[in-house]
Amino acid sequence: MSFGHPWLLLGAVGALLPLLVHLFDRRRPKPRPFAAIAFVLRSHRRTASRLRLKRLLLYTLRTLLLLAVPVALARPEFVRPGSGALRASGPAATALLVDRSLGMRFRDGDTLFERAREEARDALAGLLPEEPVTLVPCGPDVEVPAAPSFERARLREALDRLQPSFGGADLNRCLALAARALEDSPLPGKRVVVVSAFTAVSLQLDVPAPRVKVADKLVQPEVVLRDVARGRALPNHFLLEVKAEPAPHLGSRMVAVTFTARNVTPGEAQEVPAALELAGRPVAKAFLTLAPGSTTQKTLTARAEAGGALAGAVTLQADALGEDDRRDFVVQVPRDLRVLVVDGSPNSVRYRDEAFFYEAALSAPGSPARPTLRDTEAAWREKLSDYDVVALLNVPAPSPEAAARLKAFVEAGGGLWVSMGDQVEADSWNQRLAALLPRPLRLVKSAGATGETALRPARLGDVAWDHPLFLPFTDKAREGLLAARFSRYMLVEAGQQAGDSAQVLAAFDDGAPALLLARRGKGRVLLFTSTVDRDWSDFAIRTSFLPLVQRSAAYLAGGLDERERLEGHVGQTLVLRPETAGAVAEVRAPSGARVPLRPDADGGLRVGPFLEPGIYRPLDTAEAPALPPFAVVLDAAQSDLTRLKPEALAAYFGEEAVKGPAGASEAKAPLWTWLLVAAAVVFFLEGTLLRTP
Amino acid sequence: MALLDAASIAKLAGVKVRARAVMEGVLSGLHKSPHQGQSVEFAEHKEYAPGDELRHLDWKAYAKFDRFYVKRFEHETDLRAVLVVDASGSMGYRSGALSKLDVAATLAGALSYLLVRQQDAAGLSVLSGGRFSDVPPRAAAGHLMTLLSALETLVPGGPTNLPAAADHLAEGLPRRAMVVLFSDLFDETPDALRRILQLRSRKHDVAVFQILDPAELEFPFDDPTLFLSMEDERRLEVNAREIRESYLEELGAFLAQTRAQCTEMDVDYQLVRTDDSLDAALLQFLAKRQGRRR
Repeated sequence: MSFGHPWLLLGAVGALLPLLVHLFDRRRPKPRPFAAIAFVLRSHRRTASRLRLKRLLLYTLRTLLLLAVPVALARPEFVRPGSGALRASGPAATALLVDRSLGMRFRDGDTLFERAREEARDALAGLLPEEPVTLVPCGPDVEVPAAPSFERARLREALDRLQPSFGGADLNRCLALAARALEDSPLPGKRVVVVSAFTAVSLQLDVPAPRVKVADKLVQPEVVLRDVARGRALPNHFLLEVKAEPAPHLGSRMVAVTFTARNVTPGEAQEVPAALELAGRPVAKAFLTLAPGSTTQKTLTARAEAGGALAGAVTLQADALGEDDRRDFVVQVPRDLRVLVVDGSPNSVRYRDEAFFYEAALSAPGSPARPTLRDTEAAWREKLSDYDVVALLNVPAPSPEAAARLKAFVEAGGGLWVSMGDQVEADSWNQRLAALLPRPLRLVKSAGATGETALRPARLGDVAWDHPLFLPFTDKAREGLLAARFSRYMLVEAGQQAGDSAQVLAAFDDGAPALLLARRGKGRVLLFTSTVDRDWSDFAIRTSFLPLVQRSAAYLAGGLDERERLEGHVGQTLVLRPETAGAVAEVRAPSGARVPLRPDADGGLRVGPFLEPGIYRPLDTAEAPALPPFAVVLDAAQSDLTRLKPEALAAYFGEEAVKGPAGASEAKAPLWTWLLVAAAVVFFLEGTLLRTP
Repeated sequence: MALLDAASIAKLAGVKVRARAVMEGVLSGLHKSPHQGQSVEFAEHKEYAPGDELRHLDWKAYAKFDRFYVKRFEHETDLRAVLVVDASGSMGYRSGALSKLDVAATLAGALSYLLVRQQDAAGLSVLSGGRFSDVPPRAAAGHLMTLLSALETLVPGGPTNLPAAADHLAEGLPRRAMVVLFSDLFDETPDALRRILQLRSRKHDVAVFQILDPAELEFPFDDPTLFLSMEDERRLEVNAREIRESYLEELGAFLAQTRAQCTEMDVDYQLVRTDDSLDAALLQFLAKRQGRRR
C-alpha cells in the first residue's frame, strides 16, 4: 500500500472527534419535574440496551467516516506484486507470451493456465491505446507470431481459445520469436510480457536473453514477468516410466508392469495409492511412499483375459497436476500357440522318443504353446489350419498330397519347424518339399560323438544374436547356447544360388548352417539341421534348448514380431515401418481426433505430432484396426515443476528490466475511490441509524 | 354562549368564579334539550284511577287511545354525591395555563354547583400529602360556599394513594352515594384503581375524571432532560427524543387498561386534558350518564 499524499493522513486524527465529544462535551441536561416519571423510567429500562448499542454503532460509524475521508484524500494505492505492465518511457510494441506447457495445468483452486489467461487479459487491458500487441502462445508447437497490431478484440478472442498443452514449452525459443516479431513494429519501445510459472525445465538460463534489432542495434526489450504461481512452489509427484511386459514365467497371459514414480514435493508423500488397469478395468493396486526428491519403483502383475495387444494404464492418486499421474501402455500378451508336433521316431521309452524334449519344452509352465503330439501317419490326417505351427521332428518325407497341404498351410501364414534325424532322407525331402525348405538338404555330416576324441563335436559358432529368436540369450545364457555339442548334422546346399531367400540364423563352428529361416508366402520355415533329441547332439538337455524352442514356436506364429514395442511421446512423431504401415489409412487419438500422417523418407509412415497422451489406434480404410494400438506418453521431464528462483530470473533478464523481488513488476490499484464510496455508505448508514427510534 | 376554553378559564381568578363560569356553560348547553336537567324524570304510563292527580293526565295519549293515562315520574330526591379530588404532588404538574389540580378543582366546583342547584347533597373528600380532608355531603344552599372554599385552598403535595382513598370512602359512606374521582391515577400501587372501582360493589355510583396534561400525553421533549419526580426523590437523565416512542406506548397501554377496567366495573370514565374546554368535558360526562339512565 502506498499513498499519493501521505501528509493528509494527519487528518485521520479527526476520527477521534466523536470520542472526544462523548468524553468532554457533557452538556447539563435541563431539569424538568414530571408527573408521569414512572412511564419515563419504564421506557428507559425497556430501551436502555438497544440505545447503548445504537450509540456504540453511531460512534463507530462516525469514527469510520472521519477516518475514511482523510485516508481517501491521501490517495492510497494497493501495490499488487506480479501484475501490471512495466511502463516504458513512451509507448512500446508488446509481445504477450503465454506459457501453454503441461505444468500450466497445475491446479491450485483454478489452473495456472486459467490464471495465465486472466493475467494476459489484465496485461492487455493495461496497455496504452497506442501500443500495438501480438500474442505468442508458447507450447510444444510454437508458430511464428504475427507482427504487433491494434486488433485487441481479435487478440482477446485468441486468448479465450487458447488451451494448455500436454507438452513442454521452450520459453527461450518463444522469447526469440517474440523479439523477432517486435522488430516488425516501427515503435522504438519494445516490450515482452511473459506469463508463465517459470519452471526450470521451460526456461534455460544459459542461453542469451532475447534481443531486438532496433535501428541496426541489438537492444534488450523491456521484459515484464507475470508469475502465475505467485511465487509459490509447485509440488508434484508423477509417473516417470512404465514398462509392461508379458510374464510367462508367472503363468499363461500374465503381465508384469513395472512403474517408476518420482516425487518433486519438498515433503514425503506417504501411502500414495497406485492402480493398474488392463483393458479399462482395475486389476491390481499398491501403495507407494515417495520420499522428497526420490524415485520409487514398483511392479504389479495381472493376468490378461486374452492374448494380443492389450491397452492398460498405471495411475497414481491424482495431485495438483493429475495429468502426469497416469501413464498408458500397450503390452503384447502372448497368444496361445497351437503346435502340431509330428513325431517321426516314436519310442516307448519316453526320453528316447524323438519328441520328448521338444514337447516338454513347449509344455513347460509359462509357455504359450499348446502342443499336440501325433505320429507320422496320424499327423497328415489332422486339419492343419487348426494349428499355428507344425513341427516335423525327424519325419520321413511326406506324401506329395501331404506336402501340398503343408505348402498351402505355410503360404497361408502357418509356421513350419523342421528338424533332422535318421528318418530324414535328403533326396526325397528335396523332391517333395523343395518349395518349403530354406535350402535343399545334402547329406549328414558326423562331427564325432560325445566323448570321442577322434572327432571333435561341433558347436555353434556364428549366431545372429540381434534376431528376435536370440534376443534373450545374453551373457551366461549365450554361453549355454554356444556350449551345446553336435555330433551329427545335415548339410545343406550352399546359398550362392540366385533367388536364395534363406537366412542363416546360426551356423556351426565349421560354417555349416545350423538354423535357417525362410519366408514362404505369409508363413515362415525354420530348418534345424540337427535333432531335437539326444541322437545327434546334447542340445536337448542344455538350458538354452527350452527358450529357443519356445521362442522359435512364437516366432513362427508371428508372436515375436508383435512384441516390438511401439511408444510415442507427446509433441513428437513416430514412424511406422514400411512393411506394416501399408494398411494404415488413419490414426485416431484418444480424443477421437485424426493424427496427421505423412510418408517418411525410408518408405514408412510418419505419425504425429501427438498432442495428447493415451492410446492411439491405427485404422484401415474400413476403420478396422490395421495395427495394434500404441501408447503415447507425456515427457516426464515436463512434470518436474521446480521453479526458477527470482534472483536467477532477475540476473538473466536484468535488474532494469524486471521489477519486484519475485521477478515481476508492480501494479498500483487505486483504493481511494473505494474509500469514498465506503464513506458515503457509512454516512447513509449513520443517517438511517440516527432516524431509527 | 360559547363554551369556555381552558385559557379563558385560566384568566378567571379563583375556583368559585371558574366553577360558576363552567356551571353556566353547562346549563346553557343543557337548555338546548328539554329532556335534560330535569329534577324528575318520566318513568311510565298508568291507566287513570280515581284519586290520581288530574295534572298528570296525558292528554296526547287520550287523543290517541281514547283512554285516560296518567304519567308517573321518578324523583331523585335522595342523591348524595362525594367529589373526591386527588391533590397529590403529581396533580400539580402544568405545561400550560392550568395545572391538573386546577382543572380537578374547577370541575369539582362546577359539579357542586349543579348538584346543589338540584337540591342534591354534595360533599368533598380531598387526598393531599397522604391525608384526607372531608366536607360531608349536604343539600343546603349555603353548603356550596363551603365546598368552593375548600376547593380553592387546595395545594398539591405528597404521593398518590388511591387504595387509601378507597378505604377511606368505604368507611365514610355507609349509604349509597355517588362518588366522583378527579385524579391523574398515577399510582404505582398494584390494583390501585381497581380498589377505587370496587366501591361499585358497595352499591355506590362511581365516576372517574382522569385529568392529564398535554405534555404527559404527547411527550414533546427533544433535548437531554433530567426528569424529576413530583412525589418522591426519583430522577432520570435521558435523551427524551430517544425514549419518546417507548413512553407513548407505555402511557397508551396504561390509558387503555384504565378505560378497560372502568368499562368492566360499569364506571363512567372521562379523560380530560388540561387544555380541554372544561364545560364541554362536563357536558360530555353528563350526557353520557343521561344516556346510561335511559
